[in-house]
Amino acid sequence: MKYIKKLTKAREFSSLLFLIVLFAIVGCININFLAPSSIAACFNDSVVFTLLAVGMAFAIFIGEIDVSVGANLGFTASVVGSLLRDGYNWMFCFAVGILIGAAIGLINGFGVAVLKIPSLIFTLGTNGILRGLIYVYTNGAWVENLPAPFTAFAAKPLLANLTVFYTVTILAVIVIHILLTRTKKGKYFIAVGDNEGGALLVGIPTTRTKITAYVLCGVFAAVASILYASRIGFITAIAGNGYEMKAIAACVIGGISLSGGLGSVIGASIGAVIMSSVSRILVFMGFSSDYDNTITGVMLITIVVLDALMQRNAAERIRRERLKARAANVSGGKGGEQA
Amino acid sequence: MKGRKFLSWEMFLLIILILEFVIFGAKNPKFLMPRVLFASVNDFIAICFIALFVTFVMITGGIDIQAASIVGLTSIIIGVGWQDGGMNIWVASILAIVAAAVCGALSGFFIAYCGVQAMVVTLGGSFLYAGFALLVSNFSASEAYQGISGFPDSFKIISKFKLFGVIPSQLLVFIVLIIIAYILLHRTKYGRSIFLVGINQEAAEYSGINTRLVILSTYVLSAVSAALAGIMLTSYLGTAKSDLGANLTLNIITAVVLGGTLSTGGKGSVIGTALAALVIGILRFGLSLCFRVNTQYLDIPVGVLLLVVVIGRAIVSRPETAAFFKKLKKES
Repeated sequence: MKYIKKLTKAREFSSLLFLIVLFAIVGCININFLAPSSIAACFNDSVVFTLLAVGMAFAIFIGEIDVSVGANLGFTASVVGSLLRDGYNWMFCFAVGILIGAAIGLINGFGVAVLKIPSLIFTLGTNGILRGLIYVYTNGAWVENLPAPFTAFAAKPLLANLTVFYTVTILAVIVIHILLTRTKKGKYFIAVGDNEGGALLVGIPTTRTKITAYVLCGVFAAVASILYASRIGFITAIAGNGYEMKAIAACVIGGISLSGGLGSVIGASIGAVIMSSVSRILVFMGFSSDYDNTITGVMLITIVVLDALMQRNAAERIRRERLKARAANVSGGKGGEQA
Repeated sequence: MKGRKFLSWEMFLLIILILEFVIFGAKNPKFLMPRVLFASVNDFIAICFIALFVTFVMITGGIDIQAASIVGLTSIIIGVGWQDGGMNIWVASILAIVAAAVCGALSGFFIAYCGVQAMVVTLGGSFLYAGFALLVSNFSASEAYQGISGFPDSFKIISKFKLFGVIPSQLLVFIVLIIIAYILLHRTKYGRSIFLVGINQEAAEYSGINTRLVILSTYVLSAVSAALAGIMLTSYLGTAKSDLGANLTLNIITAVVLGGTLSTGGKGSVIGTALAALVIGILRFGLSLCFRVNTQYLDIPVGVLLLVVVIGRAIVSRPETAAFFKKLKKES
């Protein structure tokens, strides 16, 4: 009973509930949507966004933001894709991709944590540079003809209809969640985002934690880029354009507070499923997928506004309770003196 | 002291601008021909228009990344209103400006009155308004990728008009907007309250300023400037498209930050932003004309510029470096 109560109070629980209600409503309108293969497709298609959102979650946990992940994904995918196409060993290609992602994260982390530049502005700058570098690297041409085993792997099922990619990703997310909530170092991220000054005072290396968060964000974007290349099979010069916005939206929908220090990676992955299902849901409900952006925008704004209003109410309630307690204390104290 | 520092930053931008002219002019004399130079204005005028008023937003401590999507929205509203709604082109333009103002007010309301971070709301707004633009374009009989064209000459003239046969109307409108923005921000009570809100919102609230309304109004202003940019671009291109101006965000924010506005709020100037927007515009144009840089690469120099400015400023404003400069001054 205690666990159930704790579970329902969690922020990601409302996201999960939202996901279930959403699927149920769509299922009522078009029962085909609830077929196991269709549900599985919703999860499988979200794998790239899940990875991006989990990476983004680290940046948001520490109270910052990273809008360069879309360009990071595009650039890393181009490099990894072209190396694979040229017949290099796949281990080597993946290592190069992850190193690039980590390097980009390190640069972002250095700018934000050490130079103390507002993260939105710094990462907007790196985003522009990376977008340009994609054109420099590929000359604007598509990266095509990826090896067949690599692209075929994306569709390989593991559990029921879920692909290997999604199953492994979701297992990794659960492991990360346990690490973040159960280990000392894992709790650093939330602590820094919740109260940086306080974290510093209790001896948490805030600068190092922030840089680590950005490096992790870059690494997750790099892993996402490899999966992206495998799933899509070709990489255009605008690959990943706007993905950073969708990753942020997924985090917000998943109950992660953008002021930092609140939320979980599980929430981020639920948010990613909701985000990437929107266009599929539209199709099943008989609408054009042109509405995709509108729905995403409405959803994002509604959720953050509701969240802000609820937080304000909660703060007001706590303040009232404190005042009441203080008043009771004062009168109680007086009573004691008289006796 | 503070005033002098401001002046020196603007002088610095002016020097960069002149340097750009010298370097690009020396590389390719064609660059300095008034006809070529003024024709380039069309490529970056939207950045100039919008950056002026995004400065207002950033001085209050907010940020606006939705302005770029409003450009496309206004463009398509004009097109659909005129072609499929049978409206007069000017009525359609005014409708587009009103629609933009409503969009700005909506985002501003959520930011000012519900206390949501500006970054998230305008992020949602950029999705929402780009989505609206796509929906509006569905009302049109024309295919979305072709856009709507064939506007009357009276509409096209607003971007083709040239004062004395050289100075394009875009530049004239830009100058008018600079004057309006300058007076509004630096010469009125409203402008003072914008600065005060950025420095300390609570103090501003206690001193009797309706801070929420002030914040909301800055988003309306930036949306209206985006609408003006949309009208100008539509008139110049002769085509209304829903994705017009889609990748302006980096350039707009760079212009505002380069112009000396603090992204944390409380400091900034219209003249600085105007100069910075020109620096970026000329840089983009000059690199592509004189150094044959592919237009798709142009985000690299802009991004580098943004990073160099913010890193430079961060290093200079560090306590250690500030102390070093003070010591240097004392010794000399």
